[in-house]
Amino acid sequence: MLEPDLAIIGGGPAGISLALALASTRLNILLLESGGLNFDPQNQKMYAGTESGLGYIALDAGRLRFLGGSTNHWGGWCRPLDAIDFEARDWVPHSGWPFPKKALEAYYPRAQALVEAGPWLYDKADANVAALGALLPLGDGGVYTSWFQFSKTRDSELPTYFGHRYQDELKRASRVTPLLNANVTAIRLSPDARRVERLDAATLDSQGGADKTFTVKPRITVLACGGMENARLLLASNDVMAKGIGNQNDLVGRFFADNPIPRDVATLVSFAGPLAPYYGNNLALANGPVLRATLSPTHAFRRTRQVAGSLTTVEQPVEMDDTGKAAVITTAIALGVDASNAKAYSLGCGMELLPDPERRLRLTGEKDALGLPRLQLTMRMAETDFALYHDTLRELGRQLLASRTGMLRITRRENWSGNMDWGNHHLGTTRMHDDPKQGVVNADSQVHGVGNLYVAGSSVFPTYGASNPTLNLIALTLRLADHLKKVAA
Amino acid sequence: MTFSKGQNPQGGPSRRTLITSVAAAGAAVAAGLYRFTDLFVKHYVPTPYDDVLAALLDREHAAKLGALVTGTPAPTALAARLRAILKPDGLNPNGLTAAAKADAAAGRIIAVDGWLLPESVALLSALAARA
Repeated sequence: MLEPDLAIIGGGPAGISLALALASTRLNILLLESGGLNFDPQNQKMYAGTESGLGYIALDAGRLRFLGGSTNHWGGWCRPLDAIDFEARDWVPHSGWPFPKKALEAYYPRAQALVEAGPWLYDKADANVAALGALLPLGDGGVYTSWFQFSKTRDSELPTYFGHRYQDELKRASRVTPLLNANVTAIRLSPDARRVERLDAATLDSQGGADKTFTVKPRITVLACGGMENARLLLASNDVMAKGIGNQNDLVGRFFADNPIPRDVATLVSFAGPLAPYYGNNLALANGPVLRATLSPTHAFRRTRQVAGSLTTVEQPVEMDDTGKAAVITTAIALGVDASNAKAYSLGCGMELLPDPERRLRLTGEKDALGLPRLQLTMRMAETDFALYHDTLRELGRQLLASRTGMLRITRRENWSGNMDWGNHHLGTTRMHDDPKQGVVNADSQVHGVGNLYVAGSSVFPTYGASNPTLNLIALTLRLADHLKKVAA
Repeated sequence: MTFSKGQNPQGGPSRRTLITSVAAAGAAVAAGLYRFTDLFVKHYVPTPYDDVLAALLDREHAAKLGALVTGTPAPTALAARLRAILKPDGLNPNGLTAAAKADAAAGRIIAVDGWLLPESVALLSALAARA
């Protein structure tokens, strides 16, 4: 039996960030990682599940089960959530975080350091790129040029794989014990369901079968094993609470979300010729940060036109057909501008989905090698999600015309789904809300009703934004670390 | 010996025949030259909407685009609407520029085959296609 002060279940970006943030405290920390230091197909099979509804990435393909978690295949895209993402909005059902963005701002610089994305620029990046070419003039309107930054490690190696990058720091931390190949199979509650008493854990043998079992009895437990696995473990731990831990209001596993990435949603024509290189490429500045421009709706536009978040990116140059050429020639002449050097680009987008309780994870009767029920995902996307983004694209097209800098063609909506990727951002399944009837965890990320159980990671996001979640979930985890320091003291 | 009308008594074509032939040849050359200038300036059959279509500097591309515009009224009504739109700044390219800018600023946008166009440009293109 292991008896740490704090057990962290999951060695991904949340779990590692939390362990490092608390490493200098007096807490004895056990970091339980189900995988090893590298990819293991036997272990990865534990993630297999089934799906129904809208086509989605296989459950064992969109995440990775070894130290570092899904940072082992991330693209390094970073951008803080927008302040409006935290607000309750009457056009976004179930919206509203229990605190404003301001509550996270103190944690973003440390999160930025952990993902090694360089100096904090983002929406202040305009001045840093002036020498590389002008911003696309968009004039007044609802869409503006915003910025991604990229996780960057040594030299040109991208991005920060948390397992490789931080394993030595974890080993050096005297009060942190990383335990690899340690699969938590159940969270055992006290009979009154008010506290976690112990964790059941097991290892896999080399053939992928059950091997040794052991028990952990922590004072505090933090579940940090990703947006799917957090829900799975809570639902499967149902010996005391029959519906699963934290699921007294049937919320665990619901509101699953990801950021859809439809490709070739539109063609943008720049009348003056090629766009500045940072629109279509990740561009490294001399002083370190790697940037890429994105076209984002302003807060004011989102509020007045009631659209969701979206981050439109320039994908690649494209050739125009005869209709496109006729459209550009006719429009440019009409606007009184020269388009003889016009250049066309396809656009893609990272979209925000509206929260939907029926987009959900459930347990199935099938079990993995350690007896944990496998997941089934019901995936779906509302036509409204597309329609809201369409409104943003239309505003971008209007601004290009109004500023006489270009024009836009929106690809037929039915083609968007055919060219759609997903961000592998698993969000929302243990959503945060002060009201237990509307959320699984409270504003401190504590599971409602269970005093010593917390959840870290993007599964607690009640709304999702369009920004990639890693930077944001780390900031949120660092906030949790501060809370745990107080609780443990 | 008698001479038929138009025949030269000295055996060549009559003067009248000569003039007619030269005139016909001249007309043919002129027509050819006229068509030749199509390479530089497209010539169109006159329409009742030429006053409106004068706002287009490139009617051929506009017509190609305008063929894809749907849901517009009949040409006569469309021309009347365009006269009203363009009138403040003139039925000429400058008038179209002013109207197109105003449309974009005000969000009067029409999608044609997905291309987002100022309403005045889309309507004028549609008229060019139907004229």
